[in-house]
Amino acid sequence: MSEMDCVHAGSGRRAEGWRNAPAEARAKGWAAGVAMLVCVACGSDGADADDNSIRVGAIFDLTGPTADVGTDYGDGVRAFADWINGQGGIEGRPIDLIFQDYGYQVDRAEQLYSQFVSEGAVIFMGWGTGDTEALRMRIAEDEIPFSSASLSHRLGDPAEAPYNFLLATTYSDQFRIALDWIAANHGEGTPIVALMHNASPFGLSPANQGGIEFAEAQGIDLTLYEMPRGAVDFTAEFSRIRQSGAQYVVFQNTSGPAAVALQNARSLSLDATFFCLNWCSNAQVVQLAGEAAEGLMGTMPYAPLTVDVPGTRVIHDYLASRGESAEGRTNAYTQGWWTFAAFAEGMRRVLAAGQELTGASIKAALETLSDYDMGGVTAPVTLTSTDHRGSKGLRIFRVEGGVWVPFTDFIQAPAS
Amino acid sequence: MSMECGVFHTRYESDMGLRPRPAQRIRLAVLALFVLVFPFVASTYWLDLANQVAIATVGAIGLNILVGYTGQISLGQGAFMAIGAYTAGLLTLNFGVPWGASVFCACILTAVAGTFFGLPSLRLKGLYLAIATLAAQEIVEWAMTHWTTVTGGTEAIVVPAPRLFGLRLNTTFNFYWLAVLTAAGTALFAANLFRSRIGRAFEAVRDQDIAASVIGVDVFRTKLLAFATSSFFVGLAGAMIAFYRNIVTWERFTLNTSIVYLAMIIVGGLGSIRGSFLGAALITLLPALITNLGRAIQDTAPQAASLLPYAQQAVFGIVIILFLIFEPRGLSKLWENVKDYFHVWPFAYRRGESRAN
Repeated sequence: MSEMDCVHAGSGRRAEGWRNAPAEARAKGWAAGVAMLVCVACGSDGADADDNSIRVGAIFDLTGPTADVGTDYGDGVRAFADWINGQGGIEGRPIDLIFQDYGYQVDRAEQLYSQFVSEGAVIFMGWGTGDTEALRMRIAEDEIPFSSASLSHRLGDPAEAPYNFLLATTYSDQFRIALDWIAANHGEGTPIVALMHNASPFGLSPANQGGIEFAEAQGIDLTLYEMPRGAVDFTAEFSRIRQSGAQYVVFQNTSGPAAVALQNARSLSLDATFFCLNWCSNAQVVQLAGEAAEGLMGTMPYAPLTVDVPGTRVIHDYLASRGESAEGRTNAYTQGWWTFAAFAEGMRRVLAAGQELTGASIKAALETLSDYDMGGVTAPVTLTSTDHRGSKGLRIFRVEGGVWVPFTDFIQAPAS
Repeated sequence: MSMECGVFHTRYESDMGLRPRPAQRIRLAVLALFVLVFPFVASTYWLDLANQVAIATVGAIGLNILVGYTGQISLGQGAFMAIGAYTAGLLTLNFGVPWGASVFCACILTAVAGTFFGLPSLRLKGLYLAIATLAAQEIVEWAMTHWTTVTGGTEAIVVPAPRLFGLRLNTTFNFYWLAVLTAAGTALFAANLFRSRIGRAFEAVRDQDIAASVIGVDVFRTKLLAFATSSFFVGLAGAMIAFYRNIVTWERFTLNTSIVYLAMIIVGGLGSIRGSFLGAALITLLPALITNLGRAIQDTAPQAASLLPYAQQAVFGIVIILFLIFEPRGLSKLWENVKDYFHVWPFAYRRGESRAN
C-alpha cells in the first residue's frame, strides 16, 4: 500500500460521471494545458532586445489599492522612456523599459524585481513603501539604483539604504512643512491637528519619522487617526476629530479615500482646514470630492500639468505630438516622468564620462547631481553620498475653483 | 485505489515501506537529481521562485494537516505565519539568539498559539470554526500593527542575516538548500505522521468524529494536537520567510495570505502531501506565468497584454472554480490519473469497463 491509499475514504463515494467516462480525453486536455504553461514559462526569457539598449526595470500598481495614483505614475514613467527614445536615447543608447503590474503585493514585487534584475536591468523604478522596505537589503546587495515612489524618510538615508534614492520631498519633510505653515499662520491658542493616515508604513511614515517630535517642539497638539483600508465612510473618525476640537486635518493617503473623507467632513459641516500630503494632493481628489475639495491645501512636491513651467511644457509637447490630451493627467504623471528623468540624467553622466553603466557608477553619478533643475517641476535636486533625499523644499498648493494653484513659493522643510 | 498488481511483498518491512515499488523509487531518484542539478542551471529569478515554492510547501503541508487531514477549517494561516516570522525575527534581532534556536522557538510558540486559537474547536465545527479562526487572524493582524513596543508597529523589522560558519545562508543559492531540506523533512514527517496512530486519529476525526470517539479517540485532544502540529509547520514557514527576506512586514501576513494558502491546498488536493507541494507550486508560479505570458504577447497583441494585469485576479479565481468542478481532489488526483493511465498502457480497459468493480 502506498501512503495515499487510505486518505480519501470519505470523499471517494461521489458519483462523477464526467470523471469516469472520457478519462483519456481529459488527460489529453490537461496535458495540453500543462504543455502550454511550460512553453510560456520557458519561452519568455525576454532577451530579445539589442545589446546597445539600457534595460530599466519597473513595477507599477495598476490593480491594487493604490492604483488610483499608480496608473498615472506608471504612464508618466512609460511616457518618459518613449520620449527620450524619440530624442535618440541616452547618449545614443535607447531605453528598454521592462515593467509589470504588481498589485501592491510584496511577494509579487520581490518576484518581479529578481526577474528583471536577472534579465539585466541596471536601475529599477519601484513603488510602495512596504515593498521597497522589503527589497532594501537586496537592492544594496545587487547594487541596483532604486527609485521608490514612496517618499519614506528612512529610504533616503544611504547608511540604511545605500542604493535607494528619493527625488522629491520626503513625507516627513512634507508633514513638517505643513505643520510649520500651521504654526506660523494659526494666530491665538494652540493649533490642534489631526493626521488621518493610511493603515500602513506609508501612512505612518510622516508621523513616525520626525513629525511627532516636531509638532511637540512647535507646541502643536497632534493626534493620529487611522483610516482602515477599504473603508467607505469616516464619519466615526470625524466625530472623534470634532470632539478633539481640531482646526486642521492632514491626510496621508491616496486620493480615493481622501476624497471620501472630504465629503464626509463636508456633510458633517466640520469647520477645519484640510491638508493633503503628496499622494492625495492631485487633480483626482478634486474630481472625486468636487465642491468638498474647495480650499483644500496640498504639499505638492511635483507640479501638476496645469502649472506652466519648462518641465510641464515638455510633457504637453510630448502628449500633443502623440495626439493625446493632458486632460485627466495628474501630478503623479509629472512625478513618474521627472523621477525617471533624473535617473536618466545620472546615466547620461556615466556614459558622457565614458564609463561602463553599472549600479555603482550610476549611483556615483547620481550623487554628483547638485541643484539639478527638474524643469521647475520640483525644487532643485541635490544628491550627495551622505544624503539621498533629493529636494527638501516644495510649494504649498491650494484648490481654487476646482484647480490646484500655487499658494506659496518654494518653502524649505524646517530641520527635524 | 488498490494495491498494484504484479507487486509481491515477501516481508512486512517492504509491505510497510513508504515507497515500496521500484517505479516510485525511480521517480524519487529522478526528482532528487532534478533538485540537485536545478540550482546550478537556473537563473536567480527561477531560484527565487523555487525558494518561494519550498517555503509555501512547508506552510501548505502545515495547513493541510489541519484542514485536509483533520477537517478543521482555518482562516488563520496568515496570523500563524506572522507569529512564526515575528518571533524568529525579534528573538534574533533583540536578544541575539542564534537563528536556528530562534526558528525552533518560533515553531514552538506558534504551536502554542495555534493550540490556544484551536480551543473553540471543542464546540465549533465547519463554518463556525472558520469564523473563530478568522478572529485569530484579525487579532494577530491588529497586534502586529498596533503593539508597537514589541513588533515595531507598521514599520518593517530588519532581521540579521543567518550565517553558518561565516557563510551567509540567505542568498538565493544557499537558501535553496536549506529550504529544500526543510520542505523535504516536513513532507517526510507528515507522510509518516499519517501512518501512525495519531495521524489515523486525525483522519478519523475528519471523517466522522462521533465514530472516532466511539472507537476510543479523544476527539478534543486530537483536534488540539492537530492545531499544534499544523501551527508548528506554519510557524516554520513564517520563520523561513523572516530569515530569507531579512525583513518582516505585516503586509505579508494578511487575510489574503490565509486565503491564498487555502487555495493552494484546495487546488493541490486536500489531505495529500504531494498535493500540498503541487498546489504551493502552482499558486506561487501562476502569477509569474501570467506575467510571462503578458510579456510574451506584448509585441504581438499589446491590447490583450495590457488587460492581463486586470485579468490576473480573475484567472486566480477561475483556476480554483475549475478545480472544484472538474477535479475536486486537485492536482494530486490528476497526477494519480496520469500514473494509472500509464500503468496499464497500452493495454487499458475499454471505457465503461474500467470501473466495473
